[in-house]
Amino acid sequence: MKTLDWTSSLFWLLVSILVFAESLRIGIGTVQNPGMGFMPFGASGILGILSLVLFFQTALRKEDVPHKPLFAGTMWRRVLFVLLVLTIYARVMPVLGYLISTFLLMSLLFWVLERGRIGYGFLYSLLATLFTHLVFSKWLNCQFPHGWFGF
Amino acid sequence: MDFFSSIIYGFQVTFQPVNFLFCGVGVLVGTLVGVLPGIGPAGAMALLLPATFSFSSTSTIILLAGIYYGVQYGGSTTSILVNIPGEASSVMTCLDGHQMARQGRAGPALGIAAWGSFIAGTISNIGLMLVAIPLAHAALRLGPPEYFSLMCTGLIIVTYLAQGSVLKAVMMGLVGILLGSVGLDLISGFPRFTFGINELSDGIGIVPLVMGLFGVSEILENLEGDLKREVFKTRIRNLWPSFKDWMDSKWAIVRGSIIGFVLGILPGGGAVISTFVSYAVEKKVSKNPEKFGKGAIEGVAGPESANNASAGASLIPLLSLGIPPNPIMAIFFSALLIHGIQPGPLLIKQHPDLFWGLVASLYLGNGLLLVLNLPLIGIWVKVLEVPYKILFPLILLFCLIGVYSMNNLSFDLYVMLFFGVVGWLMRKFGYEGAPLILAYVLGPMLENALRQSLLISQGSFLIFVSRPISAVALGFACLLLLTTLLPNFRKRRQQYDQFKE
Repeated sequence: MKTLDWTSSLFWLLVSILVFAESLRIGIGTVQNPGMGFMPFGASGILGILSLVLFFQTALRKEDVPHKPLFAGTMWRRVLFVLLVLTIYARVMPVLGYLISTFLLMSLLFWVLERGRIGYGFLYSLLATLFTHLVFSKWLNCQFPHGWFGF
Repeated sequence: MDFFSSIIYGFQVTFQPVNFLFCGVGVLVGTLVGVLPGIGPAGAMALLLPATFSFSSTSTIILLAGIYYGVQYGGSTTSILVNIPGEASSVMTCLDGHQMARQGRAGPALGIAAWGSFIAGTISNIGLMLVAIPLAHAALRLGPPEYFSLMCTGLIIVTYLAQGSVLKAVMMGLVGILLGSVGLDLISGFPRFTFGINELSDGIGIVPLVMGLFGVSEILENLEGDLKREVFKTRIRNLWPSFKDWMDSKWAIVRGSIIGFVLGILPGGGAVISTFVSYAVEKKVSKNPEKFGKGAIEGVAGPESANNASAGASLIPLLSLGIPPNPIMAIFFSALLIHGIQPGPLLIKQHPDLFWGLVASLYLGNGLLLVLNLPLIGIWVKVLEVPYKILFPLILLFCLIGVYSMNNLSFDLYVMLFFGVVGWLMRKFGYEGAPLILAYVLGPMLENALRQSLLISQGSFLIFVSRPISAVALGFACLLLLTTLLPNFRKRRQQYDQFKE
């Protein structure tokens, strides 16, 4: 946990420095007439101080538990794959339209966990796509993209 | 309108077909969400919010309220039958509820959870009616300094009650304030922290933020591990608790209702904390504390009553002060704003249909939950048996649809994914999302109140301590923060964390 706390405290320190600098750039105004950087200036300043407190508090803390790597024993590749698929979906949905892109997305997501039963995956994907299209697009009038193919 | 005319008016509003339908849909969706670990009440509300744009604000709020207390009901089913809390507010129900199921008493456990929730919900509704109006009248006298101090206190309480490190929770609150400041400045109208991205001019949307931090991050966390879960196979019978069960539970329900109501009103309190407190109190006052953790019915009745009472009570600060006390109320707050309604002291006066309609819908929804859920328990059990490998793509799809349909922008999907990864990492690094969301919503209001206060006082920070209400609120907040430094408190906090583990 020590390594994790050190890493995160340094990350938040970096964030606070960047926001602090940007707040100064956009103008903090005066105490009588605060500018639009006033609040972020104060919040980032305190965040920076607390990040340092966390850093030094972690350094002073005694910990008997040995450090365990963050992703040890986890299926992190599966997570990365799902994230990649979702990012591609966000990119191609306006191009391919809701129905095609969602069917492809769902097929891939079902495939991730159920590799042996591709047929069922396709069936579930088709049902999920049509059902959500019916409910959200037809009944609730949500505007989904039609894409190049017009549906 | 006098008090009783207002209540009758509220029922007239609620029994309009569309509102009645929304109430029913809300409680059913809420129960479903509560039963399924993963999406959470905030996510479910955010998902359905875009679908309500073509309906009135009253119908929308009735729907969201239905989801909120439906979730409290539904969470108990998963806790009792699977030993996995459907929601954070059902964690304590696992301890004795699942033990009861293992002893063949799943029926009475589910029954007392439902009845306790119904009774507590009703008590809480009465409290809501009695407290919200006088509080709204009193709030009319509050100025920017008081609002600033009250919001600060709310944020401090959220961080104080956070699980794990208070320091990290405060840091998350500050990050929330920074995220809330993205977009056009309220006073000057100039953009800030938008990095030239036009879509950020209106700020970061609450729906992608909430869906990412709570919904997507939970799915990613689940995907890392083993996705199997086991539903405890038992015949569910005797849903009506026996006379002895009632006698054992009656005071637990009353105490749970009171604890839930009081903690629900407090900013940062909410349903989760009230269940922990209720369980601890029940164990303390019990003549047989050794029974707890081994199937004591009071251990189910108390926390389940507390979480429902708290759900109703947390509407009070939102409707009368315009301050959301927890992240779920922050979604309510955003929903009201989207529908052009400013939550605050004038809401009850200017929108009586919304307030009284909501109050009446709480009674109706509580009744519907009892009537629908006990007979439908078999269906909820079937839902629990759906494998997670089928559920997870569907939950993800609902998150994507909810976020996209908000503004019809792919950009929002990227924002959700970004915060999904952030939330996933936050869980790994031991940071909580709740203070961040609340601070994100309160941030712009907090900033407005601060800048107005400083303009009024011509730059003197003494304005916050020279006005009594503001001084008391800030004093209380400082006191809370100082107690975290006391060794005795630290020890108790460690015990509290161990207890939760």
